[in-house]
Amino acid sequence: MISISDIDVTFNKGTPLETRALRGVNLDVPEGQFLTIIGSNGAGKSTCLNVIAGLTKVERGFVKVDDEDVTAWPVYKRSKMLSRVFQDPKMGTCEDLTILENFALAHGRTRPRGFRFAVGPNMRDEAAERLKVLGLGLENRLDDRVGLLSGGQRQAVSLLMAATGDTKVLLLDEHTAALDPKTAEFVLDLTKQIVGELKLTAVMVTHSMAQALHTGERTLMFHRGRIVFDADGAERDKMEVGDLLELFKREQGEELADDSLLLG
Amino acid sequence: MSLYEILGTLETGFIFGIVALGAYLTFQILDFPDLTVEGSFPLGAAVAATLMVNAGWNPWLSTGAAGLAGFCAGYLTAFLNVRFNILHILAGILLAISLYSVNLRIMSGPNKPLLQVDSVFTALEGFGIPGYIINPIFLGVIVLLIKLALDAFLATGWGISMRAAGANPAMAEANGVNVGKMKLYGVGTANALTAIAGALFAQIFGAADAYMGIGVIIVGLASVIVGMSILPSRTIVLATFACLVGAVLYRLAVAVALNADFMGFQASDVQLVTAVLVAIALILQQTGSIFQIFRKGAGK
Repeated sequence: MISISDIDVTFNKGTPLETRALRGVNLDVPEGQFLTIIGSNGAGKSTCLNVIAGLTKVERGFVKVDDEDVTAWPVYKRSKMLSRVFQDPKMGTCEDLTILENFALAHGRTRPRGFRFAVGPNMRDEAAERLKVLGLGLENRLDDRVGLLSGGQRQAVSLLMAATGDTKVLLLDEHTAALDPKTAEFVLDLTKQIVGELKLTAVMVTHSMAQALHTGERTLMFHRGRIVFDADGAERDKMEVGDLLELFKREQGEELADDSLLLG
Repeated sequence: MSLYEILGTLETGFIFGIVALGAYLTFQILDFPDLTVEGSFPLGAAVAATLMVNAGWNPWLSTGAAGLAGFCAGYLTAFLNVRFNILHILAGILLAISLYSVNLRIMSGPNKPLLQVDSVFTALEGFGIPGYIINPIFLGVIVLLIKLALDAFLATGWGISMRAAGANPAMAEANGVNVGKMKLYGVGTANALTAIAGALFAQIFGAADAYMGIGVIIVGLASVIVGMSILPSRTIVLATFACLVGAVLYRLAVAVALNADFMGFQASDVQLVTAVLVAIALILQQTGSIFQIFRKGAGK
């Protein structure tokens, strides 16, 4: 479903701050796979996700989604195939719009938008039905501005929005990192449920090794712009966080410096 | 103030209500502070006046053509910003000063009197009601229709895309909205409204003038700020209404200030009065009460 080949990304090229964020990265994500990506700060995991979403321009290489070469496509065009949930709960929803209008906006992602009223006749019931699943009572607040909701509520809404329309691919950029542990768990369970029900291809970037190993069916580790570890199936099922750390040390011959990785 | 003066104030208040709706679209909805209006207001006047006087066009058609010219001006400003990453304020200033020359060219001079030609207000004479009564009513209806059209538009698929593009561009793009395109059409539309207002202004005062755009940006902005700080603006329908009320109140405030003999203002002081009123409105919006600032200052 997603295929990136030979990707090079360099930030601040030709300046003293030059950083090679991705170096010759190749990655194939087959349809329906739930992939998790882990790595320390600056390892390239988020850059990789941004390359798929179109936020980061590549120097070299190709990005294909659903067999279509989207390397030159702008973000808004790619979003017809890819939906995203951001790390910051404030980013995934538009606070000046009502819950219903946010749904209408997401609804238009895969369909042409016109000069008809954005909130169609069935949309209210449809949105209410989806929101009811959350058990947060949001189905009774459809006309409230999203800015009035809490971070966790907004993140849950943006997940539901990302799953509307004919989405095939879901990109999750540390989407539970800014939430308290209990809400994070709720949002993660919701993610697993949605991905399973809609049989989506999903890529989740995370800081937590445990979360990476216990979510989805394949895990990658990035380090210094390269993929240093790629496991799925039985090999991954047996793994624990300790094994991953051990493996990382062996591969790199160095200690993990980033404490936030160990905490997860 | 006499009834005649009050009706005259309503007349200009309604015309600047149209400008205020444009300012609401750029400043509030698109988060695009657009200074093009300083040029597109006289552009609308110049285009309409020249078409009516020199080409003998029908006044309605000329006013429509003025709107089209305004749209192009706004589109160009947004194009400089979207395509070449020129700062929005700077792009607007560039367009505004270039339009000053363009307007002189269009009119082949600094002004164009509309003597002996039919204006859109001439058609109203058939009702047998004096112009100083029917004109404000007519303009009130026009501005209300534009407000309703804008309300409806902002609830369409395009409309919510535009609102999201202004409020949260990253989220809008992630939901398939072409943010650049929204700016092009949004700023274009706002300037079309401003140019139509300019065309109507020229017709009511009997002349187009290259200098008539000075301060239009502040008038539009003042209307939006005054309106939204005194009236509720939770929804689009309320907010656009607040802009219209703001435009009328603002004109009223200026008229009172200029009329009150004890203040000793004269007509040429209008820009100074405007700037002071806007500054006060902005300060009120920040602090809620103007006395608070002085207290704070004293506390330090």
